[in-house]
Amino acid sequence: MNKLLLAALVTGALAQTAFAQDYTIMAPAAPGGGWDQTARTMQQVMQDEGIAANVQVTNVPGAGGTIGLAQFANQAQGDPSQLIVGGYVMVGAILTNQSPVTLDNVTPIARLTGESEALVVPANSPIQTLDDLVAQLKENPGSVSWAGGSAGGTDHILAGLVATAVDVDPTQINYIAYSGGGEALAAILGGQVTVGVSGYGEFASQIEAGELRLLALSGESRLEGVDAPTLSEAGVDVVLENWRMVAAAPGITPEQEAEINADIAAMVESDAWQEALASRGWVNTYLAGEDFKAQLAKDITATEGILRQIGLVQ
Amino acid sequence: MGTFDLLLQGLLAAMEPMNLVYALIGVTLGTAVGVLPGIGPALTVALLLPVTYRLDPAGSLIMFAGIYYGGMYGGSTTSILLNTPGESASIVTALEGNRMARAGRGGPALATAAIGSFVAGLIATLLLAFIAPWVVRFALSFGPADYFALMVLAFITVSAAFGDSALRGLTALFIGLALGLIGIDLQTGQTRLAFGIPDLFDGIEVTTLAVALFAIGETLKIACAPTHLQEQVEAVKGSVWMTIEDWKRSWASWLRGTFIGFPIGAMPAGGADVASFLSYSAEKSFSKHPEEFGTGAIEGVAGPEAANNASAAGTLVPLLTLGLPTTATAAIMLAGFQQFGLQPGPLLFVNNASLVWALIASLLVANLMLLVLNLPLIGVWVRLLTIPKPWLYAGILSFATLGTIGANAAVMRIGGLAFSFELLLLLAFGVLGYLLRRFGYPIAPVVVGLILGPMAEQQLRRALAISQGDPAILFASPVAMVLYTVAAIALLLPLFLRLRGRGQLLGQLATDED
Amino acid sequence: MTDGGTNATRRPDGAALVIAVVLAILAAVIFWQTSQMRVVAVYARVGPTTFPYIVATGLAVLAVATVVSALRGSFPARDKDNYGPMFWILGGLLAQMLLLFPAGFSIATGVLFALTAAGFGRRRFWMTLPAGIAFAFVIWLIFARGLQLSLPTGPLESALVSAFGALAASVGAA
Repeated sequence: MNKLLLAALVTGALAQTAFAQDYTIMAPAAPGGGWDQTARTMQQVMQDEGIAANVQVTNVPGAGGTIGLAQFANQAQGDPSQLIVGGYVMVGAILTNQSPVTLDNVTPIARLTGESEALVVPANSPIQTLDDLVAQLKENPGSVSWAGGSAGGTDHILAGLVATAVDVDPTQINYIAYSGGGEALAAILGGQVTVGVSGYGEFASQIEAGELRLLALSGESRLEGVDAPTLSEAGVDVVLENWRMVAAAPGITPEQEAEINADIAAMVESDAWQEALASRGWVNTYLAGEDFKAQLAKDITATEGILRQIGLVQ
Repeated sequence: MGTFDLLLQGLLAAMEPMNLVYALIGVTLGTAVGVLPGIGPALTVALLLPVTYRLDPAGSLIMFAGIYYGGMYGGSTTSILLNTPGESASIVTALEGNRMARAGRGGPALATAAIGSFVAGLIATLLLAFIAPWVVRFALSFGPADYFALMVLAFITVSAAFGDSALRGLTALFIGLALGLIGIDLQTGQTRLAFGIPDLFDGIEVTTLAVALFAIGETLKIACAPTHLQEQVEAVKGSVWMTIEDWKRSWASWLRGTFIGFPIGAMPAGGADVASFLSYSAEKSFSKHPEEFGTGAIEGVAGPEAANNASAAGTLVPLLTLGLPTTATAAIMLAGFQQFGLQPGPLLFVNNASLVWALIASLLVANLMLLVLNLPLIGVWVRLLTIPKPWLYAGILSFATLGTIGANAAVMRIGGLAFSFELLLLLAFGVLGYLLRRFGYPIAPVVVGLILGPMAEQQLRRALAISQGDPAILFASPVAMVLYTVAAIALLLPLFLRLRGRGQLLGQLATDED
Repeated sequence: MTDGGTNATRRPDGAALVIAVVLAILAAVIFWQTSQMRVVAVYARVGPTTFPYIVATGLAVLAVATVVSALRGSFPARDKDNYGPMFWILGGLLAQMLLLFPAGFSIATGVLFALTAAGFGRRRFWMTLPAGIAFAFVIWLIFARGLQLSLPTGPLESALVSAFGALAASVGAA
């Protein structure tokens, strides 16, 4: 059995080696996480669609992706075959970890996917609408406990933005960090906290089952098939999406950048990519080139502002 | 839907051809690595974690279940045929089993161990299936204060209650707790004890620590041992099959072992080694042939082996339903779940019901496969025991570093030197593992401290944040009060027994590693 | 592993005193590092510094208890270990760590393999080193190629893979 397995694996391994290596994608996270899955999906689609003959993925986890980013900026300099996956979480992590390497040290290519954040309360909560939540928050900020991901992450930033938008001091919010959406979910369903903040996908099945009430979504527009307003529609002027992107090495020529852009565009347009997104429940928010760079700059400024206000960045 | 239907659905999923293949690979690898002397289930699971990285979660967890059970089976083979137990839970098996093998009754010893493990695994897995939903219903209402109380209890049972020295148990636990402090604080985003090294911002990886303490620590200890013990692999002579007399003497022991082992594993009252020691004492007093103990009594193999497997299944109750690992093996299994973004706990049964039930059902499947694999293939496993030590440990260390490198390809540069910081940690913790062994400190509390310490801290701080700083919340719930009472008993009873000169019994239950 | 017995001589145990000192230093480092942290007001009142202080206090208490235990000679008796093999094995781990990125997984791990074998008394490097490199290369093939784990590729892996690739292509063509 062992020998058979070994033989199969070795043969499979050797079968791939007839091609030249076209791209190496760094996932600045441990195997299994969202960035890793993004990188692996890119690998699969690019190989299957013939966009690149051979794609390798490396995992360099740690510190919200900033360890991987630093290593990438350092090693990939001028190498057009190197890509890195990242996302909005990295923007916050660069600031809170005082990372010496920032997104200015790489060449952003495109935003690939995005997800709205959701504000939810348990079904038996007295809070019916976003207005109720805002009213309670204004009356006594400490009495509203927010459950979400780690401090300084997307969920925390959204809580801070909402507070600021309704003129509540963001340092006064009672934010309780959980290691992930799953863990936070237990606290929300158990009624131990007032309100939950996380990516919509984390709560989707409980919302559909009627166990959670969705107050609002943080995206620019409503989600198809979901009966909930955006924050702006509900009167809180905040837009935030947790996006994932791909970037290339620093110091590449404009021609090389254009070539990578074309490859990524071909990948995004392929049916295989669309199918992969659908099966993972990711929303395509493809945005490339100068538009993406402008959006990125805007996000960085807004994030830095709110992190300073919350007191996570000095 | 009732438990029975869910389990049936799980069985259907586990019987899918691909999942059967995963289970088969799991039990084969698990048994093979578990047979190797010095490698217990904790290390087996840690070493084989990288094999599962790229599979889908269900397949990977099914393979995991196979590795876990396979590792437990493999250990008994080593204890019976070689006087070096593959894992500490099999120490007792070596007492009688090795004697039987020397007397030419190795076959029946292996058979009673394998069938006993099967019977215990079957009953205990079914108990797990029927008890888990009940615990989950209860646990859904647990708040952070209750979890905190639960973890206080786990700390005490893991470190202080058993073992020959509460001092060394607690010291090991606090070393683990200290390591758990390293990294970015979840609640405030501040870094603690990272000394400005970005690679430490996310804390110490459980798998790195476990592999270092178990694999490298053990290798160093064996390499440095002053006299290389003469080890004799006993050949399996005569029939592998048990006589009618053997069956008659074994069946009650299997059942007793199961019902001793399962609660001990499930309650967090210590690891499989505690269960097997208790079962051994029980068999000795129940046996109609007490004079045979020490010279190869079959009950002394049947009972402890059943207890050991039942406790392994029992450990899964707190792990799956509460997300609470109570042994080093469970701590690594937790890491295995987390790599797929799955958080064991009551919600796992709600959100990933089909996955959980496929996992539980695949434990039944793996158990059956192991019975079929073990007896006829015993010759193959025995051959693994004859690998010369230099090759064996060189291979183990190569494999041990593989997982660490594969999960983390970060390069650290100091001047012109490029190296892997994770391997440096592996080296440092390997030396720590050697020193702990050298001075008689238990290993498991270090690993459990690293994983439970941060969890306990977070739960405490969440509880206090929710109450806006009012400490009364910690004692407000009856569940928490009951848990604190049990913890106090677990802490004070051994002290009392030691003072009354009954320490030897506890000393026998020394928790080495599991 | 331990027999729970006591040192027959009941002399203070020197090594145990060293352990106590190490625990005390660990406690001091945690105290010092934690005292450097800036404290932010949180609703929990229990901030990020509380737990480190508890752990440090615990370690300090355990250091004192270890001294008492050492003076009473109640540490388990132990054999004298030889440290020779340890240097081989630690040397192997160190060599692997330093060679990993310049030389690739197979060569680095092959060196670890050979030095570990040497620690267990097998010092015929002309045999263990090639065997170790070959073993590591097979691991690399299975895990880096078959299971897509990221293991550093060095000159040896690249050369062998392209050689195999050429071979596979020629077999395919034939």
